[in-house]
Amino acid sequence: MRRSFAISAGAHALVILWALVGNVFRPDPPEFEVSAVSVISEADFAALSEAAQAPTVQPDIVAPTQAPEPAPAPTRDPAPASESAPEPTPIPTPEPEPAPEPDPAPEPIPDPAPQPVPEPQPVPDPLPPAVEEVPQVLAPETAPRPKPRPATRVAADPVAAPEPDVAEAEEAQTAADPETESAEIVAETQEATAPPETATEIVTEADEPASAPAASVRPKTRPRDVAQQPAAATPDRTAPETPDAPAPAQPAEAGDAVASAIAEALAGGSAPTQAATPSGPPLTRGERDALRVAVQRCWLVDVGSEAANVTVTVSMDMDQGGRVVSSSLRLVNSSGGTGSAAETAFQAARRAILRCQGDTGYALPPEKYEQWKRIEMTFNPDEMRLR
Amino acid sequence: MSKSAATIRASRPASGFVGGVSHRYAKSDEGRNVPQGKRFGMKQLMALCLALLAAVALPAATQAQGGPLRIEITEGTIEPMAYAVPDFVAETPGASQYAQQLARVVADDLTGTGLFREIPREAHISRVTSFEAPVQFTDWRTVNALVLLTGSVAEQGGRITVKFRVWDVFAGTELGQGMQFAATADGWRRLAHKVADQVYMRLTGESGYFDSRVVFVSESGPKDKRAKRLAIMDYDGANVQYLTDSRSIVLAPRFSPNGDRVLYTSYQTGEPRVHILNVGSVQSQILPNASGVMSFAPRFSPDGSKVVYSVTTGSNTDIYLMDIAGGAPRQLTFTPSIDTAPSFSPDGSRIVFESDRSGAQQLYIMPVGGGEPTRISFGQGRYGTPVWSPRGDLIAFTKQLSGRFHIGVMRTDGSEERLLTASPLDEGPTWAPNGRVIMFSRETLGAQGTSSLYSVDVAGRKLTRVRTPDGGSDPAWGPLQ
Repeated sequence: MRRSFAISAGAHALVILWALVGNVFRPDPPEFEVSAVSVISEADFAALSEAAQAPTVQPDIVAPTQAPEPAPAPTRDPAPASESAPEPTPIPTPEPEPAPEPDPAPEPIPDPAPQPVPEPQPVPDPLPPAVEEVPQVLAPETAPRPKPRPATRVAADPVAAPEPDVAEAEEAQTAADPETESAEIVAETQEATAPPETATEIVTEADEPASAPAASVRPKTRPRDVAQQPAAATPDRTAPETPDAPAPAQPAEAGDAVASAIAEALAGGSAPTQAATPSGPPLTRGERDALRVAVQRCWLVDVGSEAANVTVTVSMDMDQGGRVVSSSLRLVNSSGGTGSAAETAFQAARRAILRCQGDTGYALPPEKYEQWKRIEMTFNPDEMRLR
Repeated sequence: MSKSAATIRASRPASGFVGGVSHRYAKSDEGRNVPQGKRFGMKQLMALCLALLAAVALPAATQAQGGPLRIEITEGTIEPMAYAVPDFVAETPGASQYAQQLARVVADDLTGTGLFREIPREAHISRVTSFEAPVQFTDWRTVNALVLLTGSVAEQGGRITVKFRVWDVFAGTELGQGMQFAATADGWRRLAHKVADQVYMRLTGESGYFDSRVVFVSESGPKDKRAKRLAIMDYDGANVQYLTDSRSIVLAPRFSPNGDRVLYTSYQTGEPRVHILNVGSVQSQILPNASGVMSFAPRFSPDGSKVVYSVTTGSNTDIYLMDIAGGAPRQLTFTPSIDTAPSFSPDGSRIVFESDRSGAQQLYIMPVGGGEPTRISFGQGRYGTPVWSPRGDLIAFTKQLSGRFHIGVMRTDGSEERLLTASPLDEGPTWAPNGRVIMFSRETLGAQGTSSLYSVDVAGRKLTRVRTPDGGSDPAWGPLQ
């Protein structure tokens, strides 16, 4: 009795002590960060730091060391009969009342003297590149800020106006310089391209330069979970090793799950416990983002229209090459507008999807084809209306 | 064991709790004499961790299993849509002169909206030589045209017939069906506007405004001796016709809802009086109302049966409503302040007007039967000449702020005010029939200053001068014909 009481008291004391000292109730113990760092292997660390420092700028291609692959010349297809043969549509003939009103003009009409439309006043330099600057926490109180720069294109990422003789393309690239190329390299001229000039908001004539903010935003710290960030740019090294790590464990079978986790840990964690599903792992956030960004670049929103109140969901089938099966595109759902507005919104979505796949299709991982062979894309213009 | 922690970390990188704790107790697990209670607690804890992990991972996993990949796109691009209009195909020899002109007018209409951008003809790869021939979509995709408009024109016995089709280049399909219009040869511009209206409707889902007319005050001569005449023109400034001579000063013409009559203010009798003019017969008469008062700022009700206007007696101006067929006018405002510039909502139930009852000019809305007005403008500066959009969602106004004039729009509750223009003197906004474009007059300062007409879209992106033969002011946009 007494012995069992002592055991019980001792066990209780241990548990209480463990609860107090062992940081059970504190989800974020201070020493946690140290231990988290220690578990990352050297190879992983190298991969992560490589990812973190991966330059976003394109490598300088002035002097390539290899002959660039000949780009497929834009072919002038003789137009496949299937897509270009329009059914002779019956032309209805609505005859508008053709006769204008009797001319009541008592006087001759002089020719309209065309006058040049005054250009909007020139604007100071485009926004200074914020990237290269040494970050400063305090900004001057009254420093004038350049007036927002009007551009015909308004998108999420601002782009400065390209050089006048630079062709327009989605990606920026430098022109190949024939003089710096070595002799054995097949000279292929590459024209300089730049994305079209873009502003982040609509700038009207009435917009004025705003005064500087009292304090500037601190530069962002490096993201804590670097591994998750540029997944599209760097191959995910851990994912193929442990394809079923995120497999759902039933809470009821927690004990078994513990056992299997320990067993897996003892076995080195390298042997998959199940055969990989044919679908492959789900797309990483980076892969999904890459697809999202690719499509939104081509999604033109007419913010003043009724269609800009409509959210549409479009479904499509994909082939293994990442191309959309255009006949499979259809409107699944729409909300927020009349039928014609929804139809217009669907057309804009369809145009975006078909246009931005280009000639090569979307860059989706082929080994995960099962995951993206059907895609449902929702186009929600709510945030666009506020620009 | 550390490998296990690393595995968990890799699979759930955001969950630091899992990685940290399991690693911490992994160390103690290596000890020889681990008390039973502690081992049990650790086991429970690990179970809890795994349960948490499962709870977090489950939704993602179930989404991955079966069902389509779901992506939401919220960031688009605001950019004019690129289209191509090759010259129309002339089907008869006499039609060749129109083939290019028609395509140019259609292109000017579409580009002028600010919603579309034409791919210049020099960039076209394929030529359209036959209206019936299959479209080479690949060629148009190569030049990045999203939309292609093809057309043909035939001329026979003084009548010209236009056929056209609109193509979605990337989908490789036709938008809507082919259509044709016919008119006499001198009405070819109207034909082009009709085609442009159809293209606009198929691309935006909304009706266009190209086949419409604008009544305005044509101004010529120096500022101190300016001749003013009522004039009517196509929306793009073509086909100007004069409705009155320049003997008396005319102001603020307003179209009736169906475009057959025009209300305006004339000083013909020496003091301002509201006149009504029949556009077809060019006959005008004074609107019958109480004699001997100054009346101005008239505007039709949406059904065309009533006229709302202001009357000045002494230093007080109030708003009145009268039936166009006659009858006694009804007074709607009763304050000692200046209430003027009334404009109906499109459903005819409310009236927006300007008033200085609070000190400075502000905008108010009242029920059409009279009653307590609600103030909707609260920004700095003075607000005037409100006009309700035909779509009913916005009110356009003139705003005077720090020595500059702006044309702006706000929602009908006064929110989301947005200034579209800025100049020393902008005033008199009027809405296009579809509520997407506003025309107004802009005057330059100085003795040589002139007034001219401009148009701007509701987003404020496309500001265009309307080319009229002389100066112009006080535009009023008529209905789509």
